[in-house]
Amino acid sequence: MSKKIMVRRAADNEYLHKDFHGAMNLALEYLRKRFGAGAVRDYLRQYARSFHAPLTARLRRRGLGVLEDYIKKTYAMEGAPVSVRRTQDELVFKTKYCPAVKHIRRLKLAVSPLFIETERTVYGAICENTPYRHELISYDKRTGRSIQRFSRKQ
Amino acid sequence: MISCTEFIAAYSEHFKFLEKKGGKKAVLDFWNFLSRKYLTSSLKRLVKKHGIRGCWLYWQKSLNEEAADFTMELDEKDGVFKIIMHHCPSKGRLMQWKHMRPYPEYCLHCDVLYRRILEPLGFTYEADLTATGKARCRLVVRKKP
Repeated sequence: MSKKIMVRRAADNEYLHKDFHGAMNLALEYLRKRFGAGAVRDYLRQYARSFHAPLTARLRRRGLGVLEDYIKKTYAMEGAPVSVRRTQDELVFKTKYCPAVKHIRRLKLAVSPLFIETERTVYGAICENTPYRHELISYDKRTGRSIQRFSRKQ
Repeated sequence: MISCTEFIAAYSEHFKFLEKKGGKKAVLDFWNFLSRKYLTSSLKRLVKKHGIRGCWLYWQKSLNEEAADFTMELDEKDGVFKIIMHHCPSKGRLMQWKHMRPYPEYCLHCDVLYRRILEPLGFTYEADLTATGKARCRLVVRKKP
């Protein structure tokens, strides 16, 4: 019978709780089953418009370099490889896998068939009211491997 | 991809979305669903296997991974487990993001999720949520006599 105390300051650890990917997957599945696929997309659009409003504003003002920084930083934090190629009017990024999908599988959860919308709908919403558009060129539902492009609207 | 470091924002927006769809009941229904689906294989399994020490094992992982500022105490002899959250990383982030409005009852989800697991396993669950406006809370789990 033990007595234990643990004291931690925020700076003692890196903020990276990957099990949140599992909760995100469950949240999408709950919406899909209860309210349908449209609700999943509406929700993700609401999230992206709200949380990513500053990113959208910077994209509008400063262009695709902002997205390059964001994508590289995000994948680096998740410890996943990503390659990014950018010109003035186009950015293409390729991933070998989605770290969220990888972790959901590690948790032995079934990946939501709409998990793809965490790419397509979210990046689409980030581009709203900017000179850019997003295309999901390819996506492997098993691994989340993808090729995605942002380009200047014609 | 929604990074796990962005999840808290997505979670808060999810609660807001559900409330718009079906009121507070829709949010509560989701929390109950999440408790059953998300915590059965983690917190529930650990507490069933290790008794109150399962709480220590569960929160030791999650609070460290979430880089929380906390004190955690376990007294197995008296059957008491406590968390004193000095600064909750989730609520702290929501308060920090000035461009978005958090779900007003965000902190209540912890109470619903964990209480639902622990009380049926023979524990009392007390949460002091009076200081959540400062990203602080306290949790005490006691083995029922």
